[in-house]
Amino acid sequence: MLLEVRDLHVEFRTRDGVAKAVNGVDYGVDAGETLAVLGESGSGKSVTAQAVMGILDMPPGRITGGEILFQGRDLLKLKEEERRKVRGAEMAMIFQDALSSLNPVLSVGDQLGEMFVVHRGMSRKDARAKAIELMERVRIPAAKERVKDYPHQFSGGMRQRIMIAMALALEPALIIADEPTTALDVTVQAQVMDLLAELQREYNMGLILITHDLGVVADVADRIAVMYAGRIVESAPVHDIYKVPAHPYTKGLLESIPRLDQKGQELYAIQGLPPNLMHIPPGCAFHPRCPMAQDVCRTDEPPLYEVNGEEPTRRSACHFWRECMNG
Amino acid sequence: MAESILQVRGLFKHYPLNQGILFKKQVGSVKAVDGVDFELARGETLGIVGESGCGKSTVAKMLVNLEKPTAGEIRYKGEDIGKLSGKALRAVRRNIQMVFQDPYTSLNPRMTVGDIIGEPYEIHPEVAPKGDRRGKVQELLDVVGLNPEYINRYPHQFSGGQRQRIGIARGLALRPEIIVADEPVSALDVSVQAQVINLMDRLQSEFELSYVFIAHDLSIVRHISDRVGVMYLGRIVETGKDAEIYDHPTHPYTQALLSAVPVPDPVARERRERIILSGDVPSPTNIPSGCRFRTRCWKAQERCALEVPLLAVPAEFRHASGPAAHDSACHFAEETLTIGRSAPGSAPTEE
Repeated sequence: MLLEVRDLHVEFRTRDGVAKAVNGVDYGVDAGETLAVLGESGSGKSVTAQAVMGILDMPPGRITGGEILFQGRDLLKLKEEERRKVRGAEMAMIFQDALSSLNPVLSVGDQLGEMFVVHRGMSRKDARAKAIELMERVRIPAAKERVKDYPHQFSGGMRQRIMIAMALALEPALIIADEPTTALDVTVQAQVMDLLAELQREYNMGLILITHDLGVVADVADRIAVMYAGRIVESAPVHDIYKVPAHPYTKGLLESIPRLDQKGQELYAIQGLPPNLMHIPPGCAFHPRCPMAQDVCRTDEPPLYEVNGEEPTRRSACHFWRECMNG
Repeated sequence: MAESILQVRGLFKHYPLNQGILFKKQVGSVKAVDGVDFELARGETLGIVGESGCGKSTVAKMLVNLEKPTAGEIRYKGEDIGKLSGKALRAVRRNIQMVFQDPYTSLNPRMTVGDIIGEPYEIHPEVAPKGDRRGKVQELLDVVGLNPEYINRYPHQFSGGQRQRIGIARGLALRPEIIVADEPVSALDVSVQAQVINLMDRLQSEFELSYVFIAHDLSIVRHISDRVGVMYLGRIVETGKDAEIYDHPTHPYTQALLSAVPVPDPVARERRERIILSGDVPSPTNIPSGCRFRTRCWKAQERCALEVPLLAVPAEFRHASGPAAHDSACHFAEETLTIGRSAPGSAPTEE
């Protein structure tokens, strides 16, 4: 495994109390593999990624338990200087909003080149040449002329390409993309996802794709981890989960997508709202919204059951995963 | 078709671009809406889809009179609302209400829910006399599925989905006939989107509403719409019944847009034929001559640069009666895909 997150816990101390954002997350990704982390806002999917990258705001955030093993080393035990060498060089992140993630007063060439100056000790001139090369790799037209341009002079799709170029600069082993195409239009989104998938194959990188879009997941992922209230509720290979979900939350999400044959009928909707992270319901966090909930769900927190007979491994955090898969 | 309640003819909105401080001179214009026509029938839902910058939200604003058109007319039951003023205009505006995209910024944080939903009654006191208002607001809260006791709460005490319900209640307050909804669910979580869509569906039959539903999410638009218009750079490029547009698109832009939408089905990803458009949408200050889509179109020929294609049933389909015979603004409209750049030479696979 390239990256393995084990039993990670993160909480935020706020004036109003402690928000438990991540409550025991386990996931892993191999080289060349794409893991999609699916969840709604507040599910903890971005916080987990920030903990992996080491860019969590601490305080108010606090990692209260768990391990993050990257190429065998526990990142949480590293000193900040060592951690900084990993970040950017060995793992990189692509953010949702390219405009606010890029520095508005530096040209994109300077920002791309900075990676090489800081991490590789290159001269500014060599770094500039590298920047142009990278911009060509992500297919920005007229890279030589545009290297001096500032972020606001690029379109949304082009800016996201620059973010990808920046993440790729030092050829990291792992890329975390947090909603990389959410801010883009459909036709541009397809261009950017294609580019990302192609570069991933070429460099044999591990990719963690954080998203709320079931369509994007189906298009590119190998495995999915579905998060709810700071926990993984289901993890499985992409084909299995879309064929037969093993958790009522996943099932609800899939059923709420408008389908052709349901036109004119009421859409399936998951009742209620995602929980407040300061008051996560006892037992299974999903039970107040779950159509299958029984007494045991209100009291006992379900472990991640192995969904048997399935290879490669598939897990579901539902006491009634059998019933869920059968009905 | 049922009785037509709203007609839009040759609608334009150009924003001038000025240069100079003392002597302003116009150096160009942003052509946000550049000739849009459509009709809305009573009880019908018209979906308008398009990417950002295509002018769909500007159309919405003109429908509710938040923006004045540069040219063209919007007729509500035959009356051009651009020519009305005073009392007559107020009466029309009462009947066309809007639901906004972002429930976080479209509700005043310093007003209680009761004041927000009741505010329309201040402007149109004839709908509800003063003493009656609180009761009316509570009724509305109940209609949109919120607890009527929440009337004294503030917007921050609600979740995104609940806030959108408040926005919808405000839109309903004056009992309008038409609701213009601009991306009403795109700011909401997936599991909450379906709840709001269902609510809008129920309200439509309950109050005999007509919707203009603007969104970029194609699957949601298909679910809710009777007819769909596809916009590109300020114009409708293709329009028809939902099945005509989604199953038999003839305009290349619609075809590309539909093929680019990620489908929530991993089995489909291997056999799906995708058209990936190159480049970005051109700037609305400098719209290409002829067909405005030609700079990104794989079928573009000389004729496309010279002649503006009209939104009409293409000649090839004019005598056919099948689902392909709907309005499409393309010189080379075809029902079957001729895939260009993305996969040269490969024939489309029919499932």
